[in-house]
This record gives sequence, structure tokens and C-alpha cells, in this order.
Amino acid sequence: MNFARYCERIDGLSYLAGKMELTGSRVRRYLMQMPFSTDRDLLETHFDILQKAFEIISDQKTKPVLMQLEHLFSRVHDIQGTLVALKEKRILDEVELFEIKYFAALCSDAEKLCRQAGFSYENMYPLQEVFHILDPDNTGTVSFYLYDSYSKTLALVRRQVAEIDPDRDPTGWNQLQDIIQKEELAVREKLSLQLSALYPALQENFDRMARMEIWFAKAKLALLYNMVRPVTVPGDQSGVLSLDGMVNPAIADHLENAGGTFQPVSVTLCAEPCLLTGANMSGKTVVLKTLALIQALTQFSFFVPAQKASIPLVKDVFLVIGDKQDQYRGLSSFAAEMLDLDRIMANMNAGTKMLVLADEPARTTNPAEGAAILCALVEYLEKHSVMSLISTHYGDLGLSCRKLRVAGFQGNQVQGRLDPLRMNRYMNYSLIEDKGGSVPLEALNIARLLGVDGSFIDTAKKYLK
Amino acid sequence: MPFTDQIIRYGSLSVVGLGKNTGKTECLRYVMEKLNQRQKAIAVTSIGIDGEGVDRVTATPKPEIFLEKGMYFTTVASYYTSKRFKAEICEVLPYTTVLGKMVTARALEKGKMILAGPSDTSLLQKWVREMPQRYPIDVCLVDGAISRLSPASPAVTECMILAVGAAYSLNMRILAQKTRFVFDTIHLPLAGESLRSKLENITHGIRGITARGDITDPGVESALLPAQVREVLGKCGNRIYIPGAVSNALLKTLGEGKEAGSTELYIRDFSRIFAEPRVFYSFLDKGGRIFQLFSTRLLAVCVNPFSPQGYRMNSEELVNSIHKEVNVPVYDIKRMEG
Repeated sequence: MNFARYCERIDGLSYLAGKMELTGSRVRRYLMQMPFSTDRDLLETHFDILQKAFEIISDQKTKPVLMQLEHLFSRVHDIQGTLVALKEKRILDEVELFEIKYFAALCSDAEKLCRQAGFSYENMYPLQEVFHILDPDNTGTVSFYLYDSYSKTLALVRRQVAEIDPDRDPTGWNQLQDIIQKEELAVREKLSLQLSALYPALQENFDRMARMEIWFAKAKLALLYNMVRPVTVPGDQSGVLSLDGMVNPAIADHLENAGGTFQPVSVTLCAEPCLLTGANMSGKTVVLKTLALIQALTQFSFFVPAQKASIPLVKDVFLVIGDKQDQYRGLSSFAAEMLDLDRIMANMNAGTKMLVLADEPARTTNPAEGAAILCALVEYLEKHSVMSLISTHYGDLGLSCRKLRVAGFQGNQVQGRLDPLRMNRYMNYSLIEDKGGSVPLEALNIARLLGVDGSFIDTAKKYLK
Repeated sequence: MPFTDQIIRYGSLSVVGLGKNTGKTECLRYVMEKLNQRQKAIAVTSIGIDGEGVDRVTATPKPEIFLEKGMYFTTVASYYTSKRFKAEICEVLPYTTVLGKMVTARALEKGKMILAGPSDTSLLQKWVREMPQRYPIDVCLVDGAISRLSPASPAVTECMILAVGAAYSLNMRILAQKTRFVFDTIHLPLAGESLRSKLENITHGIRGITARGDITDPGVESALLPAQVREVLGKCGNRIYIPGAVSNALLKTLGEGKEAGSTELYIRDFSRIFAEPRVFYSFLDKGGRIFQLFSTRLLAVCVNPFSPQGYRMNSEELVNSIHKEVNVPVYDIKRMEG
């Protein structure tokens, strides 16, 4: 699956994609088509490249070169259509021939700038041959026309036509013009054929140019959000995912705009299910979303928003938030969630290595059956050793799996009515290992602090067993 | 030619016509010839997409632009590739228009072709600004489109020539009046220095100006409907700044207001006025005043006594009747060429 599909699933990912400084749809197209990689060696190579790009953009000395390089990226035109024409051996027109020459000149400039900056990846294939073909007079300029030196006939007829005044002898002038047109077509055909032999190198350079820009955009993103290079954990099933001080950039930005700060959270996960409990508004969903984001970022060769990250690679990431309704297909949120879980089961049965992050599964049905569904899910995940984190409000399920709890709400600090936007000031979002089986009962307390009608809350308390 | 020196000094010129076939292209050709004689390097383009070989409205042939060796020109790629003279492509522009990619090229021999350049004012502005930076160019010329005055905005070119022709109207009095109207809008008084600097960076919405010269924002985005105009006047008082289009309805409402006589309207430049002459003068007659932030240099009015239907006006009479109305030189381009 490619980056675009993951952006649909993980909203934090499309947020970061939007924050990347890319010069246009040409490059964005490449970004969206990037594959989700499970190849550790490849990812490590990618991280080496990104590391280098990161060092270059962090270094004040290379700034002028980098600015030139960025300016160069903005000058690359989208010539994919022309490249396809070359591949299919179609005859290019003058403007397309110019575009090829211009692109070749940019490639050689990019190569020089990269060398100056010390960036030795995505090297350009030398396109000297393009200049031999499109600069027959060795002028060294990027401008282009169908030079006289391409054809003796062309040169001769052009000289003849220059002697004729089209107003006095329109017939003679038109006849010669027709010969010129025919000859120019023949020249373009010859040039196009010669260039089509260079199609692979041109296409490769075109791809590399976009990738190079993406590396620098990724590096800038890493600088912007204090991201680190993740350590990928080698192959087998027993790898441990470990994140110190992870941050969700989209939510952090939002909080910052509202005058708050994002409290970094640390977490470890092994190849087994783990339950996540915590009061309402304690950030359980954010933990799940951020884990999904960081796993995806790693496997799309990005640095990740954490202080330290160690990530085992998986074939797929499932983030089941449970608020998905598909009214058009007649699905309730419960039905959509069940179908998501079914897809996860199918992948488990097929032995796919994955990361499953489920937010309060089966919460929208009756608690008795809901709890049963949850227990079954945990049992399945346990049986297949799937690295997973499942948030829930169901307590005393009698499950023996590992449990994490959000440290929680320091409600005693609150004075007066609580503004939901300021909730994070009184919340400790750290995750702690929980040995017991119960869940925190803070719902009524939080409702009271939010200013919900007091007698209503007292009535609710009557029903509390 | 008296205005050639001025064109060279200002560096960019637009030729706009009161309508189609007013002799705009002949006028441009004439200017290019003069500049060429003075060995000035020229870049030329045309605004908009009225680039058919034959004028769709009157079915008469649309003149192509004559290019001398060494001239730079910008046009759409599809026109470029069908040219019948030698030229080299210097650049493919980084934006496309409805007609496709745009190419800047240099003529390697003389030839002619239809030009269709950038189609909106901001791209044209960029073109005029960037051409002399990229190429050794002395003067940028812009061929205006049918009844569009926008390329003549001082935001785009430094000076302009207005082409007026029999094709617009065969009635000499109507021609002269319309020319007078454009002339009057061009010569609206300039706003004071301090107001100009306060307003020049405001390009959207509407603003009020207090008696002390402070700028207030009524929070109204546009004033196209009479009710909106009255709301703005109610909020801002009688001095308002409108950076966008000054429509007929707007000026009419202002002119019909009780305090029309003490109303002051500030606009960016003459090209923003889209009101009828009757409404424009009626507002001024009531004592209303219009100020502009940027003034336009109108170098001359060129007349074309030929209409596409073959009718010919008396050249001398036409020149004289227009000259009576406007305080700039008036020429019959065809007669001068002859």
C-alpha cells in the first residue's frame, strides 16, 4: 500500500504531508506513491540518506548551496508527458525538445550543487549525450531551435526563403515554407529517435530529482518537529516497540495555538496484546493515533516525533477508532468496526505481522456482549502474538494480559468550573503499568468539573453499585 | 516620433483599444518599428486569449504581430510551434493558461505571429517585471485585449497608448466622448501622500477613512449591491476606499446618496472603474470626488479611421475632434506611416 492510502487511514500522516515544503504537484505525486516498506536494509539506507540531508540543512555553512538547490527544484517542470512520448517513440515538438534540454541542464546543475553540499545520494545520470543532440553548435546555452546544422536542406531552403518577400511572391514563399516544415519534421523525428534511446536515464533522473526534493523536505520536517531517526528492530516476532517522549505533531500544533503544550508520552509494546485504561479525556485515543503515525512514518522512511524510538517492522498498521460510520453502505458505527476487526482476524489467520491499535472496541453495543467481544479479540491477539494496544473502559474482565493505565486526572487541583480546553493542565498523560483489573471511575467526577448539572450527577450516583 | 523617447525612458508600454479593430495592433507595430530604428531591445506579448487568426466578432482577419530579428516574445506553445520563421525558445514559463504552456522565445529572423500571452493582470505584471531581469531588454510592450484596460494599469506597465477607431463607433461625437471619458478617469487627482502609503498595501475589501485620515475596516467584503454600499457609508462615513472594481451600481448609489456632494471615493487606478460615463459624470457633477492611488501616463491617443466594414472616416476631422476633448497628442497611425 502507498503513502496516499495510509494518509486516508491516519490523519496525523496527511497533516505532516501538508506541512512538507514541496514545489508542486509533480513532487507531491511521488510522495503519495511512496511504498510502505518492510525491508529493514532498505529503510536503514533511507535513514542514512535522510540523516545526511538533515545534517546539511542543520549546517549554516551549506545554507547558500541549499538555497540554490531549492531554487533549482522550483524550476523543474513536469515533463512526465514528454518522457512518456519519448518512451513510446513519438515525435517531439520544438517546445518538448527544449524541455528535455532544459531538464538535462538542471540535472547537471543539481549534480554540482549536491557535490558542493556533500549530498552523495540520488546521483544524476550524466546526460552529456542530450547536449550533443540538442546543442549541435556547442553554444552551451539552454535555449533551443531547430539549428541549421541539423540538415543541409533545411539550411539551404531557409537561406532561399530569406531572399523572398512573402508579400511580393506569396506562392514561392509558401512553397519554400512547406519544404521547411517537412524538413523540420524530419529533423524532429531524427532527434526524437536519438533521444528516445536516452529515455531510461532521463526518466531515472526525473524520478531522482523528485526524490531528492522529498529527502530535503523530510529533513526539514524532522527539524521542525524535533524528530529522531528510529532504530529498526531486526526481523523475528519478539521485537519490542519502544518510544520515549513521543509527540503527536498535529495535536501539539493545535494545543500550541490554544496556548497549551503537548505532554510527551513514553510507551513500550511487545508482541502481545496490551490493554490501555484511563479516565475520559485522558488521551487514550491520542496515544493510539500517535503510535499508528510513528509506525507508518518509520516505514515510509521518515524520522519520528519522539526523543527515542525503537520500532519493529510490520506488514501493516491497523488503527480502529470506531467512529467510522458508513451510512451510504448502510453500516452503523458498530458494523463498520466489526468489519474492521474481521479484516484484522483474516490478517492474523494469514500470519501477517502487524500492529493493531483499537480504540474502545465494541463500545457502542451492550456492555455484556461488548466485553465478550473485547475478551475474544484479546485472546486472538494473544494466540497470534500480535503487537497491539487496546483501549477500554470495561473493567474486571479477568484478562491476564498486560495493562497500561494513563496516570490520570489530578482533579483536586481544579478550582471552579473546568474549561475542556484546559483539561490538559490537570491531566498526567504518562502511562503506568497496572497490575489490578479495575478501571478508574472518574466519569462522574469529570462531568461535575465540566459544570454538568449537580442534581443530575447526584441522581447518577444513586445508580452506582 | 515624439513619444518614442518617453517609452524608452519608462521601459514598459501597453497599447489598449476602446474596442476591437481600433487599430491597436497597427499602433503597436508602429511603436516597435520606431524602437527598432533606435536599436532598442524589445519584448512583446499580448494579454488574453483573443488570439484567433480571424476576428470572431467581425470575421475580418486579425493582424499578426510583426517581429523583427532579436525581439523577445511570449505566446502559447501551440501558436509557437506553428510559426513560419526561425526563433529560439529561451524558456517555458512555469504556469499554464487555458491555452496551454507559455513560451518565451527570441526571433532569429523577422516574421509574424499571433501572440497570446499571460491572461491575467498579476501574471502580466510578473512578466513585465521579470523579462528585463532575465534578458537584455530595454522595453516591454503589451498588446491589450478587446475593451480591457487592465494591462494599462500602472501596476503593470509604466505608460500607455490608447487606440480609438471607427470600429468602436462610426459616430465621431460618440468616439470623442468615450475617449474623453477614459482620459478623465486616467487623470483623476492623486490621493495625498500619507493616505497613499496607508492604503497601497490594502488590496481587498473596503475601508473607511476618518476625518483625521485613519483607516477603519467596516468588515464588508464587497460593495456590489446598493444595500451594501449604504451599509458601508453608514459605517464609514463619506470617505471610502475601494481597491476592487468600481461598478456602475456602486457609483450610482454613491451619487444618489443625500451627501453625494461631500463623498470622497478612493480607488487604486483608473482601470478599476467599470461604471458608465453618465453615472461617473453625474457623481462628479454632484460634487462627489474620486481620487486614485496610482496615476497612469497616457502618452498619446492613436486613431484608426477605418472600420472593419470598410467605411472610412475623415482622418483629419477625427483627429481634431478627439484632440478637442483630450490634452494629449492624437495621431492617425496610418497617415503617419504613409
